Amino acid sequence: MGMKIETMMRHFREAYRGVRRNSWMSFAAVSAVAVTLFIFGLFLITAFNVRYMAGELEKQVAIRAALSPSMTGAQERQLTEQIQQLPGVKNATLIPKNVGLRQMRDEWGPGGEQLFKDLDGEGQNPLPDIITVEPTDPKNVESLKKQIENFGSDKIERVEAGEGVTDKLLNFSSMLRNIVLIFGLGLAVLAAFLISNTIKLTIIARQREIEIQRLVGASNWFIRWPFFIEGAFIGLVGAIFPVVIVLTIYQVFYNVLGAGEAAAILKLMPVVSLGIYVTISIFALGVAIGTIGSIISVRRFLKV
Amino acid sequence: MFPGVSFVIEMHDVWKVYPNGVEALRGVDVRIDQGEFVYIVGPSGAGKSSFIKLMYREEKPTHGIVLINGVNVKRVRDWKIPHVRRKIGVVFQDFKLLPNMTAYENVAFAMEAVETPKRKIKPRVQEVLELVGLSDRMHALPSQLSGGEQQRVAIARAIVNNPSFIIADEPTGNLDPENSWDIMYLLEEINKFGTTIVMATHNKEIVNTMRQRVIAIEQGVIVRDELGGEYGYED
Repeated sequence: MGMKIETMMRHFREAYRGVRRNSWMSFAAVSAVAVTLFIFGLFLITAFNVRYMAGELEKQVAIRAALSPSMTGAQERQLTEQIQQLPGVKNATLIPKNVGLRQMRDEWGPGGEQLFKDLDGEGQNPLPDIITVEPTDPKNVESLKKQIENFGSDKIERVEAGEGVTDKLLNFSSMLRNIVLIFGLGLAVLAAFLISNTIKLTIIARQREIEIQRLVGASNWFIRWPFFIEGAFIGLVGAIFPVVIVLTIYQVFYNVLGAGEAAAILKLMPVVSLGIYVTISIFALGVAIGTIGSIISVRRFLKV
Repeated sequence: MFPGVSFVIEMHDVWKVYPNGVEALRGVDVRIDQGEFVYIVGPSGAGKSSFIKLMYREEKPTHGIVLINGVNVKRVRDWKIPHVRRKIGVVFQDFKLLPNMTAYENVAFAMEAVETPKRKIKPRVQEVLELVGLSDRMHALPSQLSGGEQQRVAIARAIVNNPSFIIADEPTGNLDPENSWDIMYLLEEINKFGTTIVMATHNKEIVNTMRQRVIAIEQGVIVRDELGGEYGYED
């Protein structure tokens, strides 16, 4: 569809006239789009963050096999080697109990020094030697755990895996996604309907012009373009406020949470990378809603 | 406007039945050649409007074939119809001018609609406005023009894109006799350039004076088709 710039400019002017002509209706449609996209945006940052957190947690998911105290260092190293060879194992690391204790103390932070002091001596360390196993795919955790248990209770006392948390998070995130989809779809339909109504008003206002354009042989696209542009424009304008507000809210939220203790547990997605996703999604959805709204009206009311 | 380029409209056994069951046309056969001047006459509700609407593809035949330059309009894909319409100019009883545009803008609007380059629009619009005798009124709004002047703007708009064929649906229906004659002379002038004119009318005096081909339609059937014919009805 090779369109001349002159013609394109004309379509934009025509679309702008349409918005101006029904300024109140356009305002209502822009507001509806803005509300829809605002709610969509809030869901979006939540959903993105839940996914992000789940991903972060997945990285931390590891199987911890506590070894029997009867094993020698050489046996332990050999077992680590064997586990490393299992299919689906990304990494198997032997952590002797003194290293384990040090790690625990470090995680505990400043107060840990005093707390762990007494445990550090020979024969005092209550921890077992452990092998941590990182799976290539978090879904394999359960089967890997069984395989490791199969090495026998003479070698391995017990096996633990933090599988529960990620599953719950992932379930929550897919549930959230479904709610967003259903709720968002309802709102989007409403907004599209409002846009289609303003486009309908423009079509009615321009009925005679359209009739004459048809009579003298204007192409169907020539007649339709201004309406699509008008709808997309309403969607685009409706997207500006939600983007600004949603990102501001997120920035504030991020600053507050990121500053405090919570940062260690709640890993929020960085503002910039989330901002790009959210901005693109909201604008794209706004334009899509607007265009769909005009398509509805053009199909129903514009005979070409 | 295109001497030597032939533009023919043919109808073969054309029926137009509306969804409410009204049979507007019942088996119409006709052929109109390039350069002809044809009056369509008949009582109100006889099917003249349907006949005319089939010619510019505003309506499709329920049955039968309408050929515009040998092309079956029923088979023409939707996106090609505009190109068919560019060969046809239409003039109405109520002028159908855009009230918020000047005479000049109304005519230019038709050229913009078919994506004519801007630099070609101005000279052509001035040319046709001169042809219809409105050079000095081109910046007037329709509301500032008389009925006859408005119809001349509408004719200028109909011919500005160089159609081969002009369809006029009672173009003098809203005009006083003097203005009606002005319009007729203008259409005759356009016809002399080779543009076909098909005009539906109730104006007995005009038909009887001009002595052109007359097609009479009654109850959806062509009952008379004669060259140099008369109106044939009492008003």
